[in-house]
Amino acid sequence: MSNTTVKQKRPALKVAKSSKTLNVSSGVFRVNKSISKTINHSFSGKSFSSEGDSRVLDKSSAQTPKHTVQVFDEHGQDVAPRPLYNPDPGVLQPKQGKIFPAQDTSSWTTMTDFPSVAFQTTNASNTGPFTRSFFGSISASRTSQTLESVTDETKDLLVKQDLSNSLSDVQARREEVQEQVREDVLDSVVDCYLTETETIWLLDIPTVSVSEDSEDAEAVKERNNAYTELCKNRLGNDKYVERSMQTFNGAPKTKEVQCDSITMVDKAVMSTIWDMYDSFCNKSDVSGNTVVSDQGNKADVPDSSSMSKLDLNPKGPEQSKSMVSISSTVSGSSAQLEKMACVLLVEEEPDHELILQSDKFKQDLAVMERVILANIFQPKLAAYRQLPVIEDPDCVRMAMGSKNSPSPFLEHLWAFECGLTMGRNVSSMTWNKKNPDLLAVGYGQLDFKDQKSGLVCCWSLKNPTWPDRIFHCESGVTALDFSACNANQLAVGMYDGTIAIYNVQAAEQTPIIDSSDCSKMHTCPVWQLRWIDHESGLAGEDKGEILISVSADGRICKWVHYKCLECVDLMTLKTPDLATNHMKWNRTISALSPGLCFDFHSNDSNIYLAGTEDGYIHKCSYSYKEEYLETYIAHKGPVYKVTWSPFCPDVFLSCSSDWTIQLWRQDLQRPVLCFTSGQKAVFDIMWSPHCATVFGSVSEGKVEIWDLRISSLDPTIVSVTCPGVNPTGLLFTSETDCVLVGDSEGKVTVYKLRNLTDGGSTQVETLEDVIQSTLSSQH
Amino acid sequence: MCDYQKCKHWGGNQDYTSTRNKRKTHLCCDMAEVEDTLKRIQGYNGVIGSIVVNAEGIPIRTTLDNSTTVQYVGLLHQLTMKARSTIRDIDPQNDLTFLRIRSKKHEIMVAPDKEFLMIVIQSPTE
Repeated sequence: MSNTTVKQKRPALKVAKSSKTLNVSSGVFRVNKSISKTINHSFSGKSFSSEGDSRVLDKSSAQTPKHTVQVFDEHGQDVAPRPLYNPDPGVLQPKQGKIFPAQDTSSWTTMTDFPSVAFQTTNASNTGPFTRSFFGSISASRTSQTLESVTDETKDLLVKQDLSNSLSDVQARREEVQEQVREDVLDSVVDCYLTETETIWLLDIPTVSVSEDSEDAEAVKERNNAYTELCKNRLGNDKYVERSMQTFNGAPKTKEVQCDSITMVDKAVMSTIWDMYDSFCNKSDVSGNTVVSDQGNKADVPDSSSMSKLDLNPKGPEQSKSMVSISSTVSGSSAQLEKMACVLLVEEEPDHELILQSDKFKQDLAVMERVILANIFQPKLAAYRQLPVIEDPDCVRMAMGSKNSPSPFLEHLWAFECGLTMGRNVSSMTWNKKNPDLLAVGYGQLDFKDQKSGLVCCWSLKNPTWPDRIFHCESGVTALDFSACNANQLAVGMYDGTIAIYNVQAAEQTPIIDSSDCSKMHTCPVWQLRWIDHESGLAGEDKGEILISVSADGRICKWVHYKCLECVDLMTLKTPDLATNHMKWNRTISALSPGLCFDFHSNDSNIYLAGTEDGYIHKCSYSYKEEYLETYIAHKGPVYKVTWSPFCPDVFLSCSSDWTIQLWRQDLQRPVLCFTSGQKAVFDIMWSPHCATVFGSVSEGKVEIWDLRISSLDPTIVSVTCPGVNPTGLLFTSETDCVLVGDSEGKVTVYKLRNLTDGGSTQVETLEDVIQSTLSSQH
Repeated sequence: MCDYQKCKHWGGNQDYTSTRNKRKTHLCCDMAEVEDTLKRIQGYNGVIGSIVVNAEGIPIRTTLDNSTTVQYVGLLHQLTMKARSTIRDIDPQNDLTFLRIRSKKHEIMVAPDKEFLMIVIQSPTE
């Protein structure tokens, strides 16, 4: 395209105006892009058709180069105003040409009518001569063929002049373009589609023919005639007037509204099964919890867990009230509100001290302690319980030289001791009848000299370092026994003759009952206590469990617990008069020999044996307190222990300070076997609960295990204790093959019997055979 | 009479604690008992440290230094939460009572509760 430069002849004053006009004209001249540019920036969106026009122009003259106009003032400077808006050459002009669906350039003429109409309408609304003229010029450019139709629009003469100048150019150009296009598209077949839009409809009423013979033919004919007459009358008829309407287009106005920025907040909730369960329970539990917490002395913060807590602490009428009020809402009674307020206040500040003193803390502490000790003592406890001892894979152990000798020996497992028991003498030990892991140990001096206060400790196997229960007693403890019916009752016999029954479940220091009030209480040390169960009670006899005690004042007493302990003499241990052949009991001075031990027969609870300080063993009957059934005389010193064999009903064992252990059969006056292994007094003996031929004995400085299968002359296992420490008590375990030894230093050591021949059966026959053989060899 | 074994208070106006289980101890003896047990636990063979913290993570009793304590508490608290959540997800009526973590070098034992957290670290005995 040619660059047209319009020389400015006017003075400088008029530069602006003329430049404007020039711009206009130049705008006109800028056939393709320039026109579109100015159009765009001046009339953004006001007239779609203009843009469509520009687009069409673009299409038509796509190859035409950009057309620039230069304006020079009187001095020759280029003062051509730069366009305000430079659209991106690569960007396609917005498609607004819905109105012009067809790109057919051959339909120029048809199209031009439309825009001219559109421009006319827009001109009516637009203000400003400039725009109008511009539009006019545009339309002029469009309607190059129909110039005359635009003449009334163009008011600016100058423009007209220029137009005329330019039009020719444009015309030429247009024709060029048109010809170009025509030749190209001449051969192509163009499809025109006429479609209905939302505002443009095609009315199509097909004609309907009716045959003359039909019924409505007459009606149709009449109608047709009426219609033709109507058409004739139509012109000039007042009824039919052509009118046009125009709808007002309201002027759009932009209005801005500003609102506060909407802050978005993310909120997430995790719902788990227990969360839902808790909320559901807490809703009904709130009122109940307040009551529970209020009842404690301390501020036990309510446990949110459940109603079950209420069940665990039944506390009378208050409890029932709370149960009733649970169903009602929280804001039921004012009292409840007060309680709630109390709880809230307390809940806010649980003190550190309060935490440490809370029950839950103490419980957890106890559990923790046991867990730690279980870790420490695990191999020992495993050995105790006859479980395989598994090496700790993470623990580096020194390769201990384990004794792999084939001969039987005692393996030291652990010792029950603590600071409290150090220095005290172990006087008695007993297992709990119900819980085989609970051991009660009594500490008290057996001698007359240096008596100090006694101590009873209940040790648990799970904690060998600190006893579970500690009971301080005023005088030394000499006898202990757990009850079989009420497994929590522990009978304690003391050096001063008092018998007390403790409840080991509660850790109270005071016993349930004490025999101090009883008038017939023992005046000398109680050497043995036993709870005896009478299943078959004779008429008038007490049924159930009875506590029997033997004391140094020569009495064997039966204690009954009504309101206080009451004592009934079972037997008085009178010294039998051996001078005469038959026993005479009516002596003026009847000295009672101190009783040291007794044992009831396992099968027949009517018969029992009693050992005295004289060295006699008396077989007595429970129901007959006047006379002994039998007396066994063999020992030369006080009989410290007498025990029936758990397997053979006729056999019993006795030990004494005359260094001997005697094995008796109850029908024989003389002992069957006599065991000695040293020149030390034997303090304690016990049959093994597993094997009939095994028993253990404790003497000064030695612990011995005898097995009659192997030898009846020597003990099978001899374990020497440390010098200065004397073992004073022996206890077998009923479930495992371990033995406990109490010593004078307050230690209770647990040993495991190793390599003791296990016959499988209880070896009753062996024992019988041994006895038989011995008897036969004697005669 | 106070049920505490080493009670040295005689006469006077000593307040007793709650009579749960009919066990009466002086208030001070009650604390002394707890302290005794804690000291015993710390003295056992292999115990490296013991920590008691309240619900907010403030140490009440600890035998380790502060940074270690804070580290242990922070980590174990989260683990305990997770463990408790796991147990209760399976059965909402169940609850976590004790947690033991055995590692190559130590064993960490945690007794969780709503108000406190008790942690003991023990190494295997040799």
